[in-house]
Amino acid sequence: MMHRLFKPLILGAVLMTALGGGRISQAQAPKRITIVAKRFDFTPGDITLKKGEAVVLVLTSSDVDHGVKFKDLNLNIKVPKGKTTEFPFTPTKTGTFVGQCSVFCGSGHGSMKMTLHVTE
Amino acid sequence: MRVGLYLVIAAVGLLIMLVSGCKVSDPMKVEREVVEATKHRVTVGGKTDKNPLPFNAENLAAGKEAFGHYCIACHGLDGQNTGVPFADRMSPPLPSLASAEVQSYTDGQLKWVIDYGISPSGMPASKGTLSDDEIWSIVHYIRHLPPAGSLGEPEMYSH
Repeated sequence: MMHRLFKPLILGAVLMTALGGGRISQAQAPKRITIVAKRFDFTPGDITLKKGEAVVLVLTSSDVDHGVKFKDLNLNIKVPKGKTTEFPFTPTKTGTFVGQCSVFCGSGHGSMKMTLHVTE
Repeated sequence: MRVGLYLVIAAVGLLIMLVSGCKVSDPMKVEREVVEATKHRVTVGGKTDKNPLPFNAENLAAGKEAFGHYCIACHGLDGQNTGVPFADRMSPPLPSLASAEVQSYTDGQLKWVIDYGISPSGMPASKGTLSDDEIWSIVHYIRHLPPAGSLGEPEMYSH
């Protein structure tokens, strides 16, 4: 009697594990994009993302306080000197956007820029 | 016609230099008037350029912040030289940014002055040191300066 009850239960558990497991493996962790800010440029200075695809922007400063601001995307990430800031980001519109250092960092601050391309 | 005007201005400048030497002193009235007219009408460009940033609280705050990073050493927190110990000991003296002399520039001319500086004076060229958006936001701040003395003096002069 017990054996008859256990059999469908075990079968169900196996099925759930298989289906559920499949879902977990499909939901991959967001891609991490590392950007190093250093007087007076960003490395890389050019990145390409896909619209709707979640990423984590990892902004690291190797000298003084910096930031990167994409005015058209309403995005402004700041990073203290020598630290790293992680910022989850999902682009919602396509285009080419220019980011500008958003924390005054010295004589080349105004020309410290990077480009973000968002494609379909 | 314009070449003639430049020659007259150069001659007046040379004469003033010869009379006053290189010692810092208050400019004579005629010197001040000639230089002001020249800057406003001839040498400072950007006269018809318009500020692309709308005037709003956000851009005004951005202008105040950018001004606070870079301009306060000479112009004070309020743009009116409050607490700047050498403001009236330069030649030409540092103008208050609230003065008619400065406010009579167009927005485009103010941007041009910040971009390229003014020679001969202590005003540096800041293109590349500040971004275009920061400079345009500073123009908004210059147009809406707080009352003189209301922000105190720059911290660097308090130590």
